[in-house]
Amino acid sequence: MTGRLRTAILLLLPLLEACSAKSPAAATNPSAGVSRTADGKPDLSGIWEMKKDRPCPPGGCTDNQVVNQFFDIGAGLSGGLPYQPWAKQLVQQRMELNGKDDPSSRCIPGGLVKLHTNPFRRKIIQSPGILVILFERDATYRQIYTDGRPLPSEVDLTSFNGVSAGTWDGDTLVVQSVGFKQGDTEKDGAWLDRNGSPLTGAAKITERFRRVDHGNLEVTLTVDDPKAYTAPWTIKLNQVLVTDGQELLDYNCTENEQDAVHLVGK
Amino acid sequence: MTLRLLCNFVYSFALLLLMAPPSLAHHSFAAEYDANKPVTLKGMIARVEWTNPHIRFYIDVKNPGGKTARWEISGPSVNALARNGAKKDSLKIGETVTVEGFLAREVKNLANMKTVKSADGKILLDRIGDQQ
Repeated sequence: MTGRLRTAILLLLPLLEACSAKSPAAATNPSAGVSRTADGKPDLSGIWEMKKDRPCPPGGCTDNQVVNQFFDIGAGLSGGLPYQPWAKQLVQQRMELNGKDDPSSRCIPGGLVKLHTNPFRRKIIQSPGILVILFERDATYRQIYTDGRPLPSEVDLTSFNGVSAGTWDGDTLVVQSVGFKQGDTEKDGAWLDRNGSPLTGAAKITERFRRVDHGNLEVTLTVDDPKAYTAPWTIKLNQVLVTDGQELLDYNCTENEQDAVHLVGK
Repeated sequence: MTLRLLCNFVYSFALLLLMAPPSLAHHSFAAEYDANKPVTLKGMIARVEWTNPHIRFYIDVKNPGGKTARWEISGPSVNALARNGAKKDSLKIGETVTVEGFLAREVKNLANMKTVKSADGKILLDRIGDQQ
């Protein structure tokens, strides 16, 4: 994406936001108040999906209607992501090959950040002491402990989603996660987006979950990964409550994966 | 200019800006298919795999010389299709369909579908509103 194009889109965002805002008469149930759990905390439970911000072109989408952050996790950040030089070079190489080496192509789990941006649904189940998120994508899960246990100082068995612990800051659930899986080198960690923005095993991710109203969940996500980025960076991931009554559906990538051998890049 | 007209203008301009190459959630569209090579195929459905990460079906297409070639067509995920109203029996073996889509970059007789229509023009599957 060129700099001019990025600037034009950034300038348009406030207008699009204003245009998409519901009139007072239309803002009924989805924006109603937030219920609370027995311990008085805002209840984040529900089935959620990313708020779509990438409109289909005239005639309809030729493909997925995914969010811009799916392609570029730093979309909307002025100046883009603060890559370390090696990471910037790596992302350029990955983009030149149209993301053909994205581990997701081989059904490798995408990790915590991609679980937010992928177009599949997720279900939050909140209970005192723990918040569980079930994901359609690969039928996987996250466990966020809110029972006061600290994050481990060292994680022996690293994982795609890391180890998470949450505390409440007023009505915002603050979740910190460490222990992300990385291969032999810093280049062999998770891809945060289709462009191939890297995450290393040194990363610490902070998510701030805030249910803005009944129908909207705002996740403010900060990645602190000094090996891959020159400074921590923060983005907002907006999710909307699913109200069509459909439950989660299994999606297992390995069921009939046949594309990986056909990916040639360009 | 009313607010509605202004908003329509803003949407239209944004759509033009955001007409990025497509991409699949499972893998990169552009790494496998060529968005600059649209294709229309008419053939009889020989086999259907209603599976994730993408449905696949196979059609027998008669070429101008009269010979039949089998094409593999890849589509959206089962999840996306289910939420778009499609069902497992939306495609029936033996039915003649017209597929609009895009050719694979290298693999012969492989395409990614955009729409599938029955012989009378009814849309059986499409990506409009597709999510995955």
